[in-house]
Amino acid sequence: MRSTTIPATLAFLALATPGLAEVTVLGWPGGPEETALRAATEAYNAREGLADEDRVELLFTSRDGFYDKLAADLAAGTTAFDAHQIATYSIGRYAPFMTPVDLGPAAATTFGESVLATQQFDGKQFGVPTDLSLHFLYYRTDLVDALLADADAAARYTEIAQEHLGEALTPKAPDEWTWRDWAATALYFTKAVNPDSPTRYGTVLQMKNLLFNIMVFQSLPRAYGGDWMDEAGNVTVDSEAYRTGLDLYKMLYDAGATPPDSTGYEFAEANAAYASGQVATMVQWNAAAAELTDPEKAPAVAGVTATIAPPSGPEGRFTHVHSLGLGLNAAAEHKEGAQRFLQWLATPEAMAIYARAGGAPGLTGAALEAVVGERPDLAPLGEYASRYGYVMRGGTSANALAIYQLQAAEFTGYWAGTQSLDQALANTTKGMTGFLAGK
Amino acid sequence: MAPKTQENRLLATPLVLYLLLLLGFPSLLNVFYSLSDVTFETLRTPRLSGFGNFAAVLSDPAFWRAVWFSLRFGVLTATVEVALGLFLAVFLSPLLQARPWLLALLTLPIMIAPAMMGLMYRLVLHEFVGPLPYYLLEWFGNSPAFLSPGWVFWTVCVIEILQWTPFALLLFHLAYSSIPADVREAARMDGARGWRTFRRVELPMLMPTLALAAVIRLIDGIRVFDNIYVLVGAGPGGSTTSLPIYIYTSFFRGGSLGPALAASVLFALAAFAGLFLALRAADRRAGA
Repeated sequence: MRSTTIPATLAFLALATPGLAEVTVLGWPGGPEETALRAATEAYNAREGLADEDRVELLFTSRDGFYDKLAADLAAGTTAFDAHQIATYSIGRYAPFMTPVDLGPAAATTFGESVLATQQFDGKQFGVPTDLSLHFLYYRTDLVDALLADADAAARYTEIAQEHLGEALTPKAPDEWTWRDWAATALYFTKAVNPDSPTRYGTVLQMKNLLFNIMVFQSLPRAYGGDWMDEAGNVTVDSEAYRTGLDLYKMLYDAGATPPDSTGYEFAEANAAYASGQVATMVQWNAAAAELTDPEKAPAVAGVTATIAPPSGPEGRFTHVHSLGLGLNAAAEHKEGAQRFLQWLATPEAMAIYARAGGAPGLTGAALEAVVGERPDLAPLGEYASRYGYVMRGGTSANALAIYQLQAAEFTGYWAGTQSLDQALANTTKGMTGFLAGK
Repeated sequence: MAPKTQENRLLATPLVLYLLLLLGFPSLLNVFYSLSDVTFETLRTPRLSGFGNFAAVLSDPAFWRAVWFSLRFGVLTATVEVALGLFLAVFLSPLLQARPWLLALLTLPIMIAPAMMGLMYRLVLHEFVGPLPYYLLEWFGNSPAFLSPGWVFWTVCVIEILQWTPFALLLFHLAYSSIPADVREAARMDGARGWRTFRRVELPMLMPTLALAAVIRLIDGIRVFDNIYVLVGAGPGGSTTSLPIYIYTSFFRGGSLGPALAASVLFALAAFAGLFLALRAADRRAGA
């Protein structure tokens, strides 16, 4: 008995004793981000000549209420971790309790300026952007090709566009679509508008009262020049750009171009609708690409689905972009070690390990070329982020999340017909003015 | 009587202390924060700000929409659940007497966590993966959009009723079964039959259970959160925002801690006032 008890006790003590790690990093738990961070950390700790005090240990808590717990911890001056998870839309909230980070000269060549900007606040870099989220336009190549090849179908398309959009549009290749071309295509592929349509709906809009759905919507008003604020700090959502975007969504909803239940749809429901084969196009997060192009998960559409950047507008082509990243706790006890780890994470070498382990960094240049063979999906991610990516003015402010939530409540109210457009925009302006003033 | 009263007080002391500790302290903290300017970052150093949070809540149209939703939802679902539960208890009484195990089957829905119920119906009602729209489309060529703005209120009401009518049925079944046989016998001797026996004899004896079931279901209906939030969230334009959902979204999504807690204090006061009035009415009725 004794012969097994002593080794077991020693083994337990060895496991329970804190390791040599000195830098503690609080990561985003669950999912590919955790796997990727673990792989990168393991590689970092295995580097030759790494000082003991620079070794990194990871810490994960539940995702539930993560950012609120983080806010309370940081405000209390916690020293439980030296670096921690942040997201574009919450940097402003945590910035008072963080230290800007110097990522070194390699960062710009690894990520590109627009991706780095997703982790900036007040002109300072607060984090290294490890995972990128943006939007693709998913569309059915078989349906669009058939439309482009058929003169009668094109004539019907023009009729529909004239009737619903007041403009005699003609079918175009998806990469040339403006938002109005996309809307006309969505109407053409809607049974309620065109009984000969091969699909029940031309698109699926995510109109649930949820802040992430409003991120998907933003690129539409942005293409018409929309922004949250002007340079003087005045709220500018009550603009022609937002009116155009909101009206286009409402027109499509009222015309039946999106399922009538769309007012309760978010990511999963929209994917299920598209994967059924009864939807022709969809603006959706890049994270859906793996599922919708997998023949086992989406047999009805996987072989005939292509992705491009969202359509363009008079002011250009845009995709809302935000990133998850890691930044420095101002109260950190091992700030220098944490800074060195974050700087290493911003190198092509570290990001290649991170990407191969399942992360989704927005890479550019040589950093992208090093991994694109194994991760072809990262090519459009980096390209779209650098060419079309944007963050609304105020999108990293302390109350950015509350603003998205406010817009979700007000805009969905207009789409569902519970309030007028004027009322929705007036309420949004009033609420945003308060939030941006820190009230 | 005095020693008895003293003994009662002594026996009640642990319960009172328990309530004070576990409910009283958080409630006091809640009231304090509701009178403060507080954020997640200043939870340890809130600044007293008077009744500003209460004024903000009371002038917020979204708060009043949530109040109206909760009242409408609570009254409607409680009424239907109680009526349906009573009907089923009486109608199925012979069957349940003969096969008591059926009651266990009928009350299964109340074992399901409300959040799970919401998730379940999110799948069941989805146009492209849900069985209900699928068969409606197959058989009738059309299916209502159950979660669309025009239908969503009725959909969440039906889901609540389906889950909680068995609770009322359980209460009524127990009460109905415990009516002494000689009371029914005496009514029969006096010439009363069927509906008349039920209305004049059984229903008055079921009234305390009916009141209890109605109050419990009304309270539960007004404070509904899980199933609705999982199914449709706060609803387009806040159309399915109950009071607890309003408090939750203000607190966590909007970051408005003070106003959210002020709303919770108002909610608690209204519930207390309602319960107080109901108990007084019950006392008067008992006295009469």
